[in-house]
Amino acid sequence: MSFAQTAKEWIFTTDHKRVGILYLIGSMAAFAIAGLMAVLMRLELSHLGPTITNNPSQYNVWLYNHGAVMILGFQIPALTGFFANYCVPLMIGAKDVAFPRLNALSVWLFYAGVVVVLLGFFIPDPPDVMWTGYPPYSVMTTGNTAFYTFTVLLLGFASILGGVNFLTTVSFMRAPGVTWSKLNIFVWSILAAFALQLIFVPVLGTAVTLITFDKYLGTHFFDPSTGGDILTYQNLFWFYSHPAVYIIYMPFIGVVFEIVATFARNRVFNYNMVVFGGFGGIVLLSGEVWVHHLYVTGMPDWLRIGTMVTTLSISVPVGLTIIGLVGTLYKGAIDFRTPMLYALGVVFLFLIGGLTGIPLAVTSLTVHLAQTYYVVGHFHYVMAVAGTFAIFGGVYYFFPKMTGRMYNETVGKIGFWLTFIGVNMVFWTMMVIGVQGMPRRYYDYSHFPQFQASHELMTFGTAFIGVGFALAVVNWIMGAINGKEAGPNPWGSKSLEWTTVSPPPHGNWPEIPKVDADWHPYGYGARS
Amino acid sequence: MSDHVAVHEHHGAHWDTSVWPLVIAFGILFFLPLSFTLNFVYHKPMLAILSLGLGAPMIIGGAAGWTSQAIGGGEGLSRPAMGWFILAEAMIFMSFFANYWFNRLTAVSWPPEGTPAIPQLMPAIMTVFLVSSSFTAHAAEVGLEHGNRSTFLRWWVVTILLGLAFVSMSGIEWHHLMSEGFTYGRNIYSTTFYSITGFHGAHVLLGLCGIVAVLIPALMGKINDGFVKTVSLYWHFVDIIWLFVVSQVYYW
Repeated sequence: MSFAQTAKEWIFTTDHKRVGILYLIGSMAAFAIAGLMAVLMRLELSHLGPTITNNPSQYNVWLYNHGAVMILGFQIPALTGFFANYCVPLMIGAKDVAFPRLNALSVWLFYAGVVVVLLGFFIPDPPDVMWTGYPPYSVMTTGNTAFYTFTVLLLGFASILGGVNFLTTVSFMRAPGVTWSKLNIFVWSILAAFALQLIFVPVLGTAVTLITFDKYLGTHFFDPSTGGDILTYQNLFWFYSHPAVYIIYMPFIGVVFEIVATFARNRVFNYNMVVFGGFGGIVLLSGEVWVHHLYVTGMPDWLRIGTMVTTLSISVPVGLTIIGLVGTLYKGAIDFRTPMLYALGVVFLFLIGGLTGIPLAVTSLTVHLAQTYYVVGHFHYVMAVAGTFAIFGGVYYFFPKMTGRMYNETVGKIGFWLTFIGVNMVFWTMMVIGVQGMPRRYYDYSHFPQFQASHELMTFGTAFIGVGFALAVVNWIMGAINGKEAGPNPWGSKSLEWTTVSPPPHGNWPEIPKVDADWHPYGYGARS
Repeated sequence: MSDHVAVHEHHGAHWDTSVWPLVIAFGILFFLPLSFTLNFVYHKPMLAILSLGLGAPMIIGGAAGWTSQAIGGGEGLSRPAMGWFILAEAMIFMSFFANYWFNRLTAVSWPPEGTPAIPQLMPAIMTVFLVSSSFTAHAAEVGLEHGNRSTFLRWWVVTILLGLAFVSMSGIEWHHLMSEGFTYGRNIYSTTFYSITGFHGAHVLLGLCGIVAVLIPALMGKINDGFVKTVSLYWHFVDIIWLFVVSQVYYW
């Protein structure tokens, strides 16, 4: 096949697997950009006083590009873009998604959003609104808030179209015999995540649109002098952005379930509890907890207490999913391959992140902790690092399916351990100095010289993380080029995606797969 | 199961492609984000117009190409998908209304200073037009179900006319209010008023685009029942949202 033909079949593709891989490439590029921003911030903080820049706004620009791009450009597209696209049709035995062209539109809208992010590096006034875009700063700043808005709108629109597509696909295109009770946990998690996307993304889209209206068109949504209210932005923003945590959490824990069930050779423990109690509970509760992001903004006491109750209670469904994971490991024949290491890493990191979140839900403690590095550390454990480990583990897990080849196991394990050590060096230290009073969002901490050594340690740890992730990416590229052939089912999984050749052809199977009555994606026999 | 299945057997196989999604996505990029930024952030109207001029044909051409590819096929799933899309759309309106209710219920006095009398007759007429357009869209659908093509076309065109009348009346009314000094930057009520009615108007226009996108191939003899049902579902949604808009921002 000629190069032109191959290029055409990739760029104009409507096939779910290729759309998925386009998502993977784009989100990994976003991860590299946002990771570079983190490195710049860590370098800035490696010494007291201005280090690599003496312009505080420059630090804000890095913070914006790190936060917004990691969440909107990397994690959400990697999980609900790449994994959903690549795996869901294969797992339910469909030849493609319900709307292949709409799927291609989603991925190119995502790339359009990435283009806006990249343009932000070439304009004189890059956006500097962190990832939250709070007014009045976002309305008064000289930075280009419109780019922030349009990044969110383009990526959000891509998410909504993805949601429409996947909810329809799973509802109507399951192969005969793949009943609702035999869906992979990952498919359930994608359903739940996309349901949340459809409900909450529009609210974020509205909120960020209104700040651009206020800044550039002269409306007064967030201007108290004419009857507007700044707090409505924070409410609208967090009404999406708290559930966004679950939009990321559910798919990443879904990926971890796939890995753990396969490498522990075990049925998923309490499948119904995980799906209905866990994901169902999260979907029901996720819209009632956003107010805890406004604890220190000011609100009546009764609302503080109510929010504290809802916030603490959502840890119950989240806990149910973790119990399901640990129960799946119990008495399993565990095989410590690279994907499994990442999956177990997720369990460990999420446990730390989850438990350190409980004090933050308690209003009397959060008043002291909210503006410190404790929050940064907690948040990175629970969502940033746990989610990223799940994504990397998931890419390793599906790598033989995607490429038909094997990665290098040794390099994979070295990469994992470097990253694992690095993240704990960085984010554990953050929580410690946070409790001791190191405020967040400072580009210069000259007033707190006692934290110098800790900051140096964190900057040092960043190098471990960078090298670890870079090794993983190099490992994939080398493996895709000249890894040894993997065969259709190297892990011995029972799930449907492993019944076709690797990489699967257009249409996935010659015929829609037929499954036996006693087939189950986790049918590894009775617990011994 | 053999581990030696040929890995590269898809070589030479055909992979479906379509250029239109890519064209539309980047058309949207030029049409909205770039032209808005060029005009309102960097004050370069000529470049903004250039960007609009690049984006608009990409979107329209893309939509036309897409429709012509899709019109013959489909598995009849677009209607349930539209249901999910409507959920998302409803949430956009919910956030506008939440913002409005919050501001209004915490306001010291309402309407805020500088608000002229909001017209009462025009919105009533507009409501009649839009609600009846839902019935004509339904009549067209019923005509199609009975296999009566000309009934379908007739009611479908009437729906378009009613929708256009609605949009024009909305424009006349905006013009009237703005000439009384009730511009969108006047106060929180004007800001909310124009954003909610404007956003709804944009949805009416989008619905009209969908109706036209079904009409043009229909005139050439190609009717996809699924598309008709889907577009008409969206039209009903736009209609129902209007009842919220009119009751909240005009008559409350």
